[in-house]
Amino acid sequence: MIKRNTVRENIEAYLYNLPLILIVSVFILFPVLGTLITSLFRDVTFLSSKFIALENFVRLFSDEHFLHSVRFTLLFTIVSVAIELLAGLIFALVLNETLPARAFFRIALLIPWVIPIAISGRIWELLYNYDYGILNYIIISLGFANEPVSWLGTTTGAFFSIVVSDAWKTIPFMSVIILAGLSTISDELYEQSKIDGANLFIRFFKITLPLLKPVLIVALLFRTIDAIRIFDLVYVLTGGGPGGSTTSLSLYAFNYYVSGDFGYGSAVSVVVFILASLLAAFYLKTVNVNR
Amino acid sequence: MKEKHIILILKTIGAVSLALFCLFPFAWMIIISLSGNADFLTEGDLQFTFKNYFEVITYESAHLLDYLRNSLVISLTASVSATLFAGLSAYSVSRLKFKGRILIPLLLLGISMFPQISIVGYLFEMMVNFGWINTYPALIFPYITLTLPLALWIMISYFEQVTKELDEAALADGATRLQVFYKIIIPVSLPGLATSFILSFIFCFNEFLFSLMLTIDHNARTIPVGIALFEGLHGQVPWGQIMASSVIAIIPVLFLIAFFQRYIIGGLTRGSVKG
Repeated sequence: MIKRNTVRENIEAYLYNLPLILIVSVFILFPVLGTLITSLFRDVTFLSSKFIALENFVRLFSDEHFLHSVRFTLLFTIVSVAIELLAGLIFALVLNETLPARAFFRIALLIPWVIPIAISGRIWELLYNYDYGILNYIIISLGFANEPVSWLGTTTGAFFSIVVSDAWKTIPFMSVIILAGLSTISDELYEQSKIDGANLFIRFFKITLPLLKPVLIVALLFRTIDAIRIFDLVYVLTGGGPGGSTTSLSLYAFNYYVSGDFGYGSAVSVVVFILASLLAAFYLKTVNVNR
Repeated sequence: MKEKHIILILKTIGAVSLALFCLFPFAWMIIISLSGNADFLTEGDLQFTFKNYFEVITYESAHLLDYLRNSLVISLTASVSATLFAGLSAYSVSRLKFKGRILIPLLLLGISMFPQISIVGYLFEMMVNFGWINTYPALIFPYITLTLPLALWIMISYFEQVTKELDEAALADGATRLQVFYKIIIPVSLPGLATSFILSFIFCFNEFLFSLMLTIDHNARTIPVGIALFEGLHGQVPWGQIMASSVIAIIPVLFLIAFFQRYIIGGLTRGSVKG
C-alpha cells in the first residue's frame, strides 16, 4: 500500500514537471548540445558540412581577433564587476540609513535596471555624442577640455564608455540586492559594538562585511556570468569598434553566425560556455567551503 | 555626536549622487524626445515640441507600434506560460517526494547561467527547420526557458511558506492534489505568482539577442531590436525620434515599477538573500 502510494506520487510529480522538462530540453539542452556538435564541423552556408574534429578550436588559438576579444571580455568583466560591486555596496550602505522618500529611491533605483539595454545603449550613445552630446558640453563648459572628446572613437574611450553605461544599469541593481542583505543584520549587533567603543569603520569591517559575505558572493556570481556574456550593449553602443577593439566574445560569435559560418561561431560560443561554467563552479565551490 | 554628523553628510552626498546618477540619463531621454533640435546644446535654443512623438507613431514605415505590439504579445504569452509551468513544478517540488525534487531546481539554476550565445546559433537552425523564423513562437518558447529558472525559484520559496497542514486537511477531505494546487496554494500565494509574472515579463520585454537573430521585420521583431536598428527616416540620425520611440517603448515597464516596486524588489532579493 505504502509502496503503491510512492509510485503514484512519483508519477504525479513527473506529470507536474513535464511541461518544464520538455521546454527546457527542446529549447535549451538540445540547442546547447547542437552547438557543441556543430563546433566540431565545418558548417558554412553553401558548402557541404564536414566533420573536422577540433580544427575550429585549433584555429581559435592562432586567431588574433579571437584572442583580442577574449582579452576584452575578461578585462571588461573584471573592471566592470569590481566597480559595480564597490559602488553598489557604498550606495546600499547609504540607503540602509533611514532615508526620506523611500518609494522615490526605490523607483529611481529600478529605472535604469528596467530599461532594455538596447534602449539604454542608445541613450548613452546620445550622451557620448561627439558634436552635441551633453558629456562633451559639460567637460568643455567646466574647462576640463578645450575641444570635444571622441568617447566612442578611441579604444580606451570606447572601453570606459561601455563600462560606465553598464554600471548605470547594474549599480542600482547591485544596491538593491546588497540592501536586502544589510536589512537582515540586526541593529543590536551595532548597538553592542558602539557601547564597546567601535567606530564606524571597525563596525563596517567587523560586522557588516563578514555578515554580508554570502549575499556579496551571490551578487558577484550573477554579475560576473552576466558580464562575461555581454552582447547587447556593445552591439548597440560601439558595434564592437573602433577597429574591433570592443568586440566581446558573444559579439564575435554572433558575427560569424550572421556571416553564415556556424561551425566557427559555435566554437567561439563553446568557449563562452566553458568560461561561464568554470566561473560558476568556482563560485559554488567557494560558497560551499564557506558554509 | 560627531560621528552622527559625518554619517548625515555622507548619507546626503550619497543619496543625492545616487538619484542624479540613476535619473539623469532617463531625464535626458525625455528632454531630447520633446525637443525639435537635438543639437540645441551647441546650436541655438531648445525648441519644445511633441512633433517627434507624432512622427514616430504616425509614420507607418517606422513600425513602432508593430514592434510594441509584438513585444507585448510575446512577453505576455511567455511570462504567463513560464509562471504556469514553473508553478506546477514548484508545487511538486515543495509538496511531493520524488527523485527529481532536488535535481530539477538545481538543473534550472545551472541553465540560468548558460550564455545565450551558446544557444542562439543552433536555435536559429532549428527555427529555420520548423519554419518559425520571424514568427511569434520563435521567440515565445525561448523566452519561456529564459524566465523559467527565476520563476521556479521564486515560487518554490513562496509555496514553502504555505503551511502544509492546509493541504493535508484538504487531501484528507478527499480533494485531489491538483485541486489543492488551484484551490489552496494558488490563492494563498498570489503575491508569489504576481512577482514571478512581473519579473518574467520584464526579462522577456528586455531580451535582445534572440529577437535580433530569430526575427526579420515588423511581423515579429520586438521593440528593443526595433529601436537599436532605427536609423531614421530621412538620413541623418534623428535623435529626437529615437528618444521619443524609447520613451514610448518603456512605458509598459515603467508602469510595472511604478505600481509593483515592492514585488519586484522582493522577488529580486528573495533568491540572493536566502542563498
